[in-house]
This record gives sequence, structure tokens and C-alpha cells, in this order.
Amino acid sequence: MVLQSSLKNCLQLSCILRTPKAGFRSTTSGGLIIQSVSNDVYQNLAVEDWIHDHMNLENRQVLFLWRNSPAVVIGRHQNPWQECNLRLLRQKNIKLARRRSGGGTVYHDLGNINLTFFTTRKKYERMENLKVVVKALKALRPQLDVHVTDRYDILLGRQYKISGTAAKLGRTTAYHHCTLLCNADKFVLSSVLKSPYKGLKSNATPSVPASVKNLFEEDPSLTCEMLLDAIAEEYATQHHIDHRITLINPADEAVLPGINNKTKELQTWEWVYGKTPKFSVSTCFNMVYKDSVLDVKVDMDVKHGRIEVCNIDLPEQWLPPALCSELVKSLTGSKFCPNETTTLATTLLRVCPQDDELHSRWNLLCENMIMLM
Amino acid sequence: MAWRALWRVGPVLVPRCPRLSPPALRVPAARRLATSSLVLSARKFTDKHEWISVENGIGTVGISNFAQEALGDVVYCSLPEIGTKLSKHEEFGALESVKAASELYSPLSGEVTEINAALADNPGLVNKSCYQDGWLIKMTVENPAELDELMNEDAYEKYIKSIED
Repeated sequence: MVLQSSLKNCLQLSCILRTPKAGFRSTTSGGLIIQSVSNDVYQNLAVEDWIHDHMNLENRQVLFLWRNSPAVVIGRHQNPWQECNLRLLRQKNIKLARRRSGGGTVYHDLGNINLTFFTTRKKYERMENLKVVVKALKALRPQLDVHVTDRYDILLGRQYKISGTAAKLGRTTAYHHCTLLCNADKFVLSSVLKSPYKGLKSNATPSVPASVKNLFEEDPSLTCEMLLDAIAEEYATQHHIDHRITLINPADEAVLPGINNKTKELQTWEWVYGKTPKFSVSTCFNMVYKDSVLDVKVDMDVKHGRIEVCNIDLPEQWLPPALCSELVKSLTGSKFCPNETTTLATTLLRVCPQDDELHSRWNLLCENMIMLM
Repeated sequence: MAWRALWRVGPVLVPRCPRLSPPALRVPAARRLATSSLVLSARKFTDKHEWISVENGIGTVGISNFAQEALGDVVYCSLPEIGTKLSKHEEFGALESVKAASELYSPLSGEVTEINAALADNPGLVNKSCYQDGWLIKMTVENPAELDELMNEDAYEKYIKSIED
């Protein structure tokens, strides 16, 4: 039985975290299990960064348990436009985060649990970690048909993916984290992880789509709490440590000095979108205006999330050429972002004559341009 | 490997061998010229498994064979912009492989002058040819003394053996 820890253990953690090399002797030497009290994806990713950067893991391994309110998390070198439906994310107020580990895109909500295994680089071993998870699941429900593939996925019933893995190797430490679907919203998951954007060409790392299933569907008596407890228990057994879980508050600067800066950095546009590997957009769309259908061709190069090169091919004279070239000039260097483009378009329109026809055409073109982002 | 590098440069400058170390076929490190910037040096290694080879003041950086084997198939190379100033030990990019995203650390202080554009479409070059076509960046050498802190090939081989145990 795993006991949720009290404030006392939070203070112990503070000592461990602050003076990792001071030969601190604690009942938790050899291993530590911590759980976040926050459901904010940026705060939780920041905890991972913090542990990775600050903790001495020579004689200690750490298991970090966390859950997030709805968020899409892309891998370090991925393209969010390629991986998910950004418009839908904005509409549904689902956060977008880029993690520092590699791998593909996942959807998190409170029905999904995240596990991070911290070790030294030398002791980095994903298969061992996943075996702990499978063992815990089987101990909880022996009838569960779960196994680990050579891609480090966990499959349920040989068919459905219930867990995906990613990892980061740093100077001296490493972490391996994975998801585990207990009772996530599959409908939202599949709709947000479908990209509507066409004509993207990029060498960003692509995701490998998979059919997923929740453990809850296999056994409705399972809850996230039960899974977390079972996994913590198995981890504790394997590492010969206390079964206690220490709660951690990712906003607490006293326990995790510098954590709020890390959280902020993960939320910046420069990190989330700006880190996207260079890509190009080459697409055509039709605009229906009054009685005619117009073909528009757009070519753009996007680097660091900003439009480096922009080309818009419109039927001649449909809009004043000077205005079009102003649009292209303004777009060049600006963020590949609907808000920024809207602002830009509105600003340019202000210097135009008050011509309803012109305004309608302009708005139509800009709306379509924004749809690309 | 040092002899191969010398021949590419041609007979411009012949480095003096430091001391003779038996057996005679051992590859000697090129001798540094004290008065000018480094002309050519043999490959040096960091304990993080990056290598650097300096020619006419420009260092070419890559990862060692040990590193590329440990990393597995590289699927993406994240490299810095030309002009980026790096300090020794500073993180300058990352390699993503099937195993993990792995940070790259600068072996020396200097400024990035070139990045290997071939890696954008062919990141596997890092695995296939880690010492030649799979080079990562080129940089200036701001402080040649920093090179002395790095391991030569023999020392690096010994280092690998020690950590493998």
C-alpha cells in the first residue's frame, strides 16, 4: 500500500534536491518516487528539466508521476502544423507544449498518466522501465494482455497502443518518459492529432500514428490512481526503496529554485513554435467570390516559425498589385501565426480607401491565408 | 588518422613529432606552432564523445564512433546558426536518434562558421561516416590552449575502455 506523503517529506525532498552532493543520508537513498500536485503541462515539463539539470543521480534513481489537463505535447524536433489541428486546439483551449525529449506527438488529459524514469546516462534502460510498468499492470489485473514492443510501445491485446515512449540523454543524466492511457478522451485525441494543413514539406521528425485504447475499456474498475499506486509499488520493490510517494509542487521556488523560469521558457512562442525545423508550405486553394471561383497559389518558407519567403499567386488585378506586394512584404519576417497575420492584414487595410468591394476581397484573401496557419 | 589528415593539407607545413613513442608506427600528434594560430592538429576528443580537428584555425566538430554506435540511427540533427558564439562545454544542438534526443556540447570556445547542410536530408551520415561526411559544425578556435585539455586518440580509446567496464 503506497502512502501519500505529508509536508514532512516535501521538506526532506527540498534537502535532497538542494544538496545532492552533500552525502545526505535519507531513507529514500537509492530511489525516490515523486508525484506532481499540478496538472499544468508546462509546470510538469519544467520539473523534468529541473531534475535533469540539478539532481545528482549517481546513487539514486527517481520516478516522477504526473498528469496534465488537456494538452498536446510534440517532440523536440517536430512540426506542430504537421502533427495536430492547431485551430481545433485553440478553439477547445487545449494547450500545446514542446518537450525536450525526442519522439512523436501525444494527447494528454487527466485520463492519461505520465511516468518519467530518471537515471544516470549509464543506467539509461528503457526496456527495464517499461517492464516495471507491465509487471505492475499484471500484478493489478493478471488477465491484462499487455506487452512491450521493440519500438518501446506498450500494446494492449497485441493491437492497441496504450503507451508511447520518448527520452532525453544529457551530460550526465538521462530520462525516459512514457504515457499510459487509462481513461483519456479518445474522441478528442483523434480529432486533435489529425493535421488539416496541406502542402507542408519538412524534415521534422514525424509521428507514427497508432490505434489506441484505454485500459478502462478493458476493465472499467481501473482508475488512474490505482495505476499510479501499482506502478509506484512495483518501482519501489525493484529498487528496494520506501513505497512512499513524495508530493511535489512545481511552482515552489523554495524546493525547486529557478523552476518558474523553466516553466516560462517552455511557454514561449520561440520554444513552442520557433523551434520547428525549417519547412515549406506549397498549396493552392479556391476562393469563391460572388459568381467566380478563384485559384490562389501560395508558397512560403518558414524558419524558426517565421515566414522567410512568401509568394502569393492571385488572378491579376483581383486586388491592387501594390496592396498585394505590401501584404507579401509584411508577411515576410513575421510569425507564421494567425494572430500576427490578422493584425498585419488589419493594419494594411487601414491605409486603403474605404471601398467595400476592396475590403471584402481583402478579407477573403486574408481569411484564407490565416487558415494555412 | 592524423597522417591521413596531414596528406590532405599537403606539404605546406610538416609538423614536428613530439617525442618518439614506441612502437614506431604509433601515430604521433601534430606539434602545435607556438607563434601563430593552429595550422593543423590531429583529432582531439572530449569526455562527452565529441571530436574536433583543427585546420588553419577552423575546427571541425563531430561525434565519435563510440557515440554514434551508442546513439543508434540518427533521425534528426539540430544544429546552431552560423555566427553563434559558443563557450567550451556549452550546448550547441542535439541529435535525435531512435534511442533519445541527445545534447551536443561544444569542445571549445569559438564561433560557428559552417554547418553540415547534408545532414538535413541525410542525418544517417552521422552514423555512416562520423569522422568524415557526418561532421556537424565548423567553428573558430578562440582559445587554442583549450585544445590541450582534450584527449588525443590514444587517451580517448583508454577512456572508452574504462567506462565500458
